[in-house]
Amino acid sequence: MSSWKEKPFGFTLIFGLVILGLVILPFFTELYYQTFLTELFVWILFAISFDLIFGYTGLLSFGQALFFGIGGYTITILTRKYGLGTEPGLLLCILIPMVFAWFVGYFSVKLTGIHFVIITIIFAIIANIIGDTWTSLTGGKDGLTFSPRPFRLGFFQINLMDIKGNYYFVLAVVALCYLILRRIVQSPLGKIFVSIRENEERARLIGYHVQRYKLIAFIIAGGLSGLAGGLYSLTLKYAGAGYLHWSVSGHAVVYTIVGGMGTLIGPVVGTGIILSLEHYLVNFLQATDLVVGIVLVVMVLLAPKGIVGLIQSRRKKGKASA
Amino acid sequence: MPETNSGILEIKNVNKSFGGLLAVNHVNLSVKKGELHALIGPNGAGKTTLLNLINGILHVSGGNILFNGQEITNLSPHRISHIGIARTLQITSLFPGLTVHENVWTAAQSRKKFFNPFLPARRWRDVQEKTEAMLELTGLKEKASLICSELSYGDQRILEMGIALSTEPKLLLLDEPTAGLNSQESMALVKKMRTMLSGQTIILVEHDMGVVMELADTISVLHYGSIIAEGPPAKIKENEEVKKVYLGTEDA
Amino acid sequence: MISNISIALMNGIVWGLIMALIALGLNLIFGLLHVINMAHGALYMLGAVAAWYLIELTGSFWIALIIAPLFVGIVGIMIERGLIRTIEDKPIITIICTFGIMLVIQELVLMIFGGAPRRIDSPITQRFPIFELQYPAMRIMIAFISIILMSGLWIFLKKTKYGLWMRAVVQDREMAVGLGIPVTKVYMWTFAVGSALAAFSGVLAAPIVSVEFMMGREVLIMAFIIVIVGGMGNLAGSVVAAVLISLIQGVGSIFVSPSMAMVFSLAILIIVLLVRPQGLFGE
Repeated sequence: MSSWKEKPFGFTLIFGLVILGLVILPFFTELYYQTFLTELFVWILFAISFDLIFGYTGLLSFGQALFFGIGGYTITILTRKYGLGTEPGLLLCILIPMVFAWFVGYFSVKLTGIHFVIITIIFAIIANIIGDTWTSLTGGKDGLTFSPRPFRLGFFQINLMDIKGNYYFVLAVVALCYLILRRIVQSPLGKIFVSIRENEERARLIGYHVQRYKLIAFIIAGGLSGLAGGLYSLTLKYAGAGYLHWSVSGHAVVYTIVGGMGTLIGPVVGTGIILSLEHYLVNFLQATDLVVGIVLVVMVLLAPKGIVGLIQSRRKKGKASA
Repeated sequence: MPETNSGILEIKNVNKSFGGLLAVNHVNLSVKKGELHALIGPNGAGKTTLLNLINGILHVSGGNILFNGQEITNLSPHRISHIGIARTLQITSLFPGLTVHENVWTAAQSRKKFFNPFLPARRWRDVQEKTEAMLELTGLKEKASLICSELSYGDQRILEMGIALSTEPKLLLLDEPTAGLNSQESMALVKKMRTMLSGQTIILVEHDMGVVMELADTISVLHYGSIIAEGPPAKIKENEEVKKVYLGTEDA
Repeated sequence: MISNISIALMNGIVWGLIMALIALGLNLIFGLLHVINMAHGALYMLGAVAAWYLIELTGSFWIALIIAPLFVGIVGIMIERGLIRTIEDKPIITIICTFGIMLVIQELVLMIFGGAPRRIDSPITQRFPIFELQYPAMRIMIAFISIILMSGLWIFLKKTKYGLWMRAVVQDREMAVGLGIPVTKVYMWTFAVGSALAAFSGVLAAPIVSVEFMMGREVLIMAFIIVIVGGMGNLAGSVVAAVLISLIQGVGSIFVSPSMAMVFSLAILIIVLLVRPQGLFGE
């Protein structure tokens, strides 16, 4: 009678409707909005992968930019220099950042609290400096441009140079990743992540090898952040060291906090709200991050569980009074 | 009570020093299967330190710890847990933001070998049944969907024992379960413990002498890191040295 | 080559002393409040920008050197009282909150001050001969001022009532509350002093580097490195680490590129974090 009362049907319905809406949307909107939405999808993927490591496992990593940036370079360099197709390229956008995440995580998960935060920043800074200076590989300050090849799956083919094609492709990948992540956080493995967030010592005392599971979460999040970076490069046809800057991780922090951490849907909502706000403000304000900063501070102070948390607690209250 | 010659847990000549200070001083202790072995002693006698050495939160400075004849000295806490030793802490240690059900579930699934990331947790029927059984045993079934930090303090102590039991331990280390409870709550907890923990092998660290005398089969008295007396409750009550260092100084 | 190295050594010491000031502020706030202040670099930048305006207004670097830190100190009080006081016991949340404050300060400066870098002229233009080279006297002056400020901080902590209170809170917060020390007030003043130190650092750095809204970003990281290598909560360690690290970076930059020197010191930092998280000079 207790346990998780879920309504999988409700989720499927809403998820299906949202995707359906996004599928027919390009028929009614200008290309300009399609580009905006494509970028929005990419940042959603970045934010939900961050939510796995921060919202679910409790590790504030400012190092996600590192994996995002490496994902971007992976698809760009492989396509440009080696003429690799998009399908193996994107797969490597997950695998190569995972290897880096394994390396960075191996050291980082030994530390806790603020020391963990700082070591992840440091790794991102090192990557940023290397990206900036290793000009022969990364194009240095200018970065690299490229033309992605069409994505092929059997007879099915998507032209990624076409804005609409790119839109559908990114939408499909991000929606798939959302479903995968949702599965993971509801799985027994996800329960272990949450237990580590809630009380590391207790998790250890009931037999979980805490460092190992932190590393697993870090590697999964790293791989998906890398995929987000790869999709971003596919969309902008460009990769640069700027993607690697630790402050890029700050985007994920903002979206996740504003939307509601540890909920997956929260970062989606947060990304949508913040990016739309920026998109709107940019018309009359040079410093759009000002509003982002203010929203972040206000949310942290007044509603640390984010917008989704606010809605949930209101619903709970409503139930209690009914 | 089943009696065997050698104990399920053997502590041999264990000591622990913190920067020159001996917190545990060449302790020998044997815990028999099925008994409730109480550790008593004044504050700072090294009781909690000894528990921390047994389940690997601290490393020993010297000596050996054997469990069922197997060397477990200085293994890390998560490995100790899988070997079959569970632990509750002096300051309640739960997963504060999760429901009572989720707290028990997390412990109940810990004996699984492989954590499939693509399988919804609720499909694990055996874990679900185990969780329900534990909720029944602890009497927390009605409160299963409450966030555990909303529970009364006494219920939180019971939940922590339930979590420890869900790991199917062969030995249970309880660190002052009645700490922070008033005498009425203490009595209720002791009553609960009698039903919940029957048949378990237990090391109990406890300040409340009433609780100790009621529950313990064997008592060891620690003083400045050394064991100064050991025996059944009736005998410990009579021991002159114990009276001097412990019972006399406490308001028991 | 000798002269190159001696210039690099001089620059290393001067820059190290400037960095010691900002690191001391960061470390003081951490030691007392256990808050990692991500906005600290922005406060450094704010000090430099305030100084630029004050010099425009009054024409005097020295007036700016006094007023700008005062202003930033007040900003610090506003941040502590108005924003982070309610979340001081949650370190991870304060990191996120101060990250937001950093964005707000940076972007406000971008709106008002603009994005283009500007220069502050050195009030002393004389040069000082070392090894047949002319070393700017202003830099030596900056080093002196830094040392005076650090001595002032030391006297403040050792001799004044607030200093005593601060040290008591660092030692044992609960005991301090028991003794009737107004801990929240101590927190406020700590944040004010820490912010002012960042601003002093910014004003003193202004004649050497250019003033712009992003100037605090890299310096923040530098300050982190110093505080960790020197030991969190260890003020003397911060000063030694600041001078040591910028000497190594300064001299190292002659032989390898500055970015490689930076990567090198970051790698050292990672090793310190893993092997001695209490810092090189901690016990």
